[in-house]
Amino acid sequence: MRSIFLLPLVAAALASPVAQGQSMSPMRGEVSSFTDAFAVRVYPSNPYGHKIRIDVRVYDQDFQPVKAEVAPNSFMLGSEASRPVLVVIPFDGASERKVRICTESVPFPGEQTQIRAQICGKFLGQRRS
Amino acid sequence: MRYCWQAVGLVALAGMTQASVAATQGVIFNGNVTATCTLVINSNGTMTVSAGLQSMSSHNAGGSPGSVALATTGGVTLSVDAVASPTVPAGDTTPTTWTPTYSSAGAHAISETGSSTPLTIPGLSTVSVHLTGTKSGANSFTSGAYQATVVLRCE
Repeated sequence: MRSIFLLPLVAAALASPVAQGQSMSPMRGEVSSFTDAFAVRVYPSNPYGHKIRIDVRVYDQDFQPVKAEVAPNSFMLGSEASRPVLVVIPFDGASERKVRICTESVPFPGEQTQIRAQICGKFLGQRRS
Repeated sequence: MRYCWQAVGLVALAGMTQASVAATQGVIFNGNVTATCTLVINSNGTMTVSAGLQSMSSHNAGGSPGSVALATTGGVTLSVDAVASPTVPAGDTTPTTWTPTYSSAGAHAISETGSSTPLTIPGLSTVSVHLTGTKSGANSFTSGAYQATVVLRCE
């Protein structure tokens, strides 16, 4: 009985690849899908000591924007916090698709030369029939 | 004396029996470290204009580069993007060529470059991000506020 109670906790711990100070994880992945789209769950995190706005964007291999469903695509994240973001990418008729999923933030806006930190993961979706 | 040898024999037998019963079994642990990269911006940069008014750069006197702390497990690539849509004063109507560059010190020693650099080894580094705007011909920078954003990418 106790083991049944613990099982969901163990499964949740194994399914959460979040590490402190990580800007986004995972950064690599291959997904097989039997539908017209594939989904990736990424975990952006905020390593700063203050709240920042994070945008999640999807690009192709040439860094052209890809029409994908990102939920949520822009959000405020507290210090040392992390949250899951679900990204659903259509195959658009292709049998496989390589995309970059990028976490972007400008932690110190309003200054003369701003730096936008961008952490990008590379993901391959393969369609199975 | 005979009992003494029998006792020795029993002890030896007991030892052999224990040795034959004892067994070891290795417990295997597996682990996998995936490629990770963390960028923490310590400070943004500042550009100043040159005496000839044709260069606005973090390299000029009084200017300073942006500073970024980088931590990675290796297996990633560092790069900067071309500057898009900088903010310039209304009086500046002439074109400017913006060139972002970066260098790194620490686990990843990188001389100043604008190209992408593979980071194969793990470690911590401090990345300095520079930006230079250049006017050509008789064009020059005008008074007012300039602002540009440099994208530093780890992938």
